[in-house]
Amino acid sequence: MNSVLLKLTITGSRSAYGRLAGIAAGVAVGVCMLLLLWGGANGLNARDDRGAWLRETGTPSATYPTPPSAAADPDIDPDTDPAATSEAPTPIPLTTDAVLMRSNPVEVFRDQLINRRDFAALDTTTVSIPGVGAPPAPGEYYASPALQQLIDSTPRDELGDRYGTFAGTIDDSALPGPDSLVIVTGAPEAEIRNSGLNFLVTGFTTDPYGGNAATYTTVLSIGAIAVFFPVLLLISIVTGLGAAERRERFSTLRLIGASPRVVARIAAAETAIPSLIGAVAGVVLAVLLRPVAAQLPVNGTRMFISDLTTGWVAGLIVVTVVVAAAAVTAAYRTSRAGIGPLGVTQSAPETLPRTRRLLPLLGGLAALVLAALLSRTANDLSAQLQTPLLLGGFAFTLVGIIAAGPWLTLLVSRIGARRAHSAAAVIALTRIQRTPAATFRSVSGLVIAVFVVSVFAGASSVIETRPTPTATPGLPQPTSVTSTISTGTTTTDTTSMKDRLEQLPGIRHATIGYGAAAFTEIGAEREIYLRAEDAPSLGFTSIPTTDVVTLDMSFLDTWTTTPVPLLPTPTTTFDRFVPVVIMVDTDGTPGAVDRARTALNTSGITGTPGTTPTDLELQSSARLVQGLAVLAYLGMVIAVVIAGVSLAVGTASAILDRKKVLGLMRLMGMPTSTLRRIILQEAAVPLLTVLTLSIGLGFLVAWLMITGIDDSYTLTWPGTDYFIALVISLTLALAAVVATFGLIQRNTTPTTTRFA
Amino acid sequence: MNTTNTPILSARDLRHSFGPTDALRGIDLDVQAGEVLAVMGPSGSGKSTLLHCLAGVLTPDSGTVTYSPANQAPRDVGGLNEQERSRLRLTDFGFVFQFGQLLPELNALDNVSIPLLLAGIKRPEALRRSTVLLERLDLGSMSGKLPGELSGGQAQRVAVARALVTAPTVLFADEPTGSLDSLASENVLTLMLELVREAGTTVVMVTHDPRSAAYADREVIVRDGAISAGYRIPA
Repeated sequence: MNSVLLKLTITGSRSAYGRLAGIAAGVAVGVCMLLLLWGGANGLNARDDRGAWLRETGTPSATYPTPPSAAADPDIDPDTDPAATSEAPTPIPLTTDAVLMRSNPVEVFRDQLINRRDFAALDTTTVSIPGVGAPPAPGEYYASPALQQLIDSTPRDELGDRYGTFAGTIDDSALPGPDSLVIVTGAPEAEIRNSGLNFLVTGFTTDPYGGNAATYTTVLSIGAIAVFFPVLLLISIVTGLGAAERRERFSTLRLIGASPRVVARIAAAETAIPSLIGAVAGVVLAVLLRPVAAQLPVNGTRMFISDLTTGWVAGLIVVTVVVAAAAVTAAYRTSRAGIGPLGVTQSAPETLPRTRRLLPLLGGLAALVLAALLSRTANDLSAQLQTPLLLGGFAFTLVGIIAAGPWLTLLVSRIGARRAHSAAAVIALTRIQRTPAATFRSVSGLVIAVFVVSVFAGASSVIETRPTPTATPGLPQPTSVTSTISTGTTTTDTTSMKDRLEQLPGIRHATIGYGAAAFTEIGAEREIYLRAEDAPSLGFTSIPTTDVVTLDMSFLDTWTTTPVPLLPTPTTTFDRFVPVVIMVDTDGTPGAVDRARTALNTSGITGTPGTTPTDLELQSSARLVQGLAVLAYLGMVIAVVIAGVSLAVGTASAILDRKKVLGLMRLMGMPTSTLRRIILQEAAVPLLTVLTLSIGLGFLVAWLMITGIDDSYTLTWPGTDYFIALVISLTLALAAVVATFGLIQRNTTPTTTRFA
Repeated sequence: MNTTNTPILSARDLRHSFGPTDALRGIDLDVQAGEVLAVMGPSGSGKSTLLHCLAGVLTPDSGTVTYSPANQAPRDVGGLNEQERSRLRLTDFGFVFQFGQLLPELNALDNVSIPLLLAGIKRPEALRRSTVLLERLDLGSMSGKLPGELSGGQAQRVAVARALVTAPTVLFADEPTGSLDSLASENVLTLMLELVREAGTTVVMVTHDPRSAAYADREVIVRDGAISAGYRIPA
């Protein structure tokens, strides 16, 4: 290409430099976001890989003799299923290549779940615990740095006393993130075996997802699509910046002899140069912003900075693809514009959108409806189809909104133009009516951002629909902490424990429940016996007049919603029973609850850690969805910022492209305030039209997706975060448009319209 | 011609420069009410700058432009603030340019009605008045057409209608037929002048075409930022 021609094209006027700077800046932001997203995706994978060992469940630590009746039942594993026998199990002895592990389902401090693994091993063990090495000796522990910090900053009787002596920190290589709360403790073999939750482990799994893989990858993919889309829109918008001004310059080149092919190549080079500068700047920006991005908590924990590293190959790919795509698009647009020596010879009026533009949207919704319906049927085909339908449906709905946006914009502008009374409204609405696609394009990023926000706000609301436990007679009290008792514990042990507990600040009462055998033992029954005088502290109001009362063990199920009645029993003593459960009534303060947990967990007589009814929330799969929704919220923030920038760029472009006409309006006496109103209305009409649709569709899609994942979920009103996000989005939209008012003032002076 | 002795526009010692270039070097000019004045001169002589200063588009570096419409107190155009000058251009002045500069998205009727809407006229009334004017300019059948669908002459007549729809006191025209062939030029000028003479509108028309200037009552020639000659054109 002739370098003089290229120089002529990219140099010259101040506005040309401004346009090139705009392209470079927009591409820089886009590339930076892409790389951070790429890094984020890598980081999530790395985090999941590092935390995979925590999913290890091991193998049973005992064998069970097989009775003749069970041997014939194909559903019962004769070696490991306790149902297969009525005899005592035989412990499998520890070996050098196996350790005994207790995996506590709920180790909680305040409202945080702690990943706790207790190990017992031979001194000569060869098993290595990830991030720790050799298992800690009984009474010692290794903690993640975040947990150790928590332990150090909390009274020991609320947390630290649960674990013993600090032996070291768990290496980052075995932690999902810097905020992860993980602890590995050493315990005597007998204690772990008595707890009933013990397994033999010879190695640790590297499969990070387990049963949640489908949910996890579905939500992650949806978040990625949602964030990737606005980035592409931004890059597309900035590379089209100042198209009208460029067409004039290209006409001049055509006049002095440049062929259409040369002009297209110049357009490509002219866009490629600032795009390349912007892309390289974007890479640098991404590297600089990595430490900041790592601070954003995703699924409950921040990331290690190294997690966000993409490597130079990824950087090179992003730069190459973005620059090449921008250049090819610019060349294509220029060649399609029909630029001749005397200007744009083939006036290409925008093809008005037809009703068929609604088809992708309807198709996407249909796929989501189908996925929701399939979730209610249980067969292999349904399970296989569900994830593709959810992802495809979401992607189609997203594309469908973009496709249907211009049609809706046209519809509303037609109605509005007929009713317009002011000059600003007539000009704005008529322009929208003639160019609905171009007008919608400038707000499409924001519309998509709001759609995504609505989807995830709706999805996140599932956790809030779970009723918060309240004090109900016949159900576990929200302020109570309950533990089962290990095998072999005597009444003396539990009485002593009860006395110790009742001495602790914030503990009001401790109740011992008795039964035929410990719950983990063969011969355990469903009835729990307790003193009638203890019943009021458990929240019961209707109490039989006998000395001892009984209740069903379903009382201990924290998920139960059916009150359990107290029944009279002729028994007056607990002589023929053993202690099976201890239920502690606290004053409900976080300190008291954690003090009770600590006391129970370190007593050496409990089979399960202290549990409150609210702990269930920390383990629910809804928590997983909500945790992952944080990722989507992060995407939403990115999308809203990008969309705001896109809107500002789009609006600025609309002003620059029409500066002569707008200058003429001012010359004719149109006040600048009217011009501002025109620009505001041109942004507001498509924005408000499709925003309403976005919000409605967002919640509909959220409902379809959530019920597609688990049909037991229901949606409710989103939290205040959502409304704050909406207000931020609209404020940003307004700010983006208002930011261009300076351009109106500068670029539409009456002298802009050339007199002669 | 419908002139009086009171100049509606009066420029005194008008000076304006663009950087080191003096565009106007002390121009004195009176424009009588109802007069059609042609301003001629070669390219770069300063005639467009003079028009800008007279119309309040540019503020002269020094000198005054006094606008004295009938029954109103004289006003120094250069001394008005931006808002006042915008208002003056909207209510008292009209403009026609070499290229119609119509809003491409609006049809002819809407283009003409915009100044009326800006002046606060209700849309139905604005459309009614615009329709009447378009019919006077033989464009009744074109009112629904977009600028891109009109010929050069038709587009220029729509621009004339837009300039006159508010019944301005002064019409500023800058090479109004510069982009037209001679037949279309004659057509536009004839119709435009017919309307302005009927309404008693004052016209200041910049042109380099002697045939266009011949339609005026008087012409002045600007050369190097100063008026070098002035002629009254015989009717």
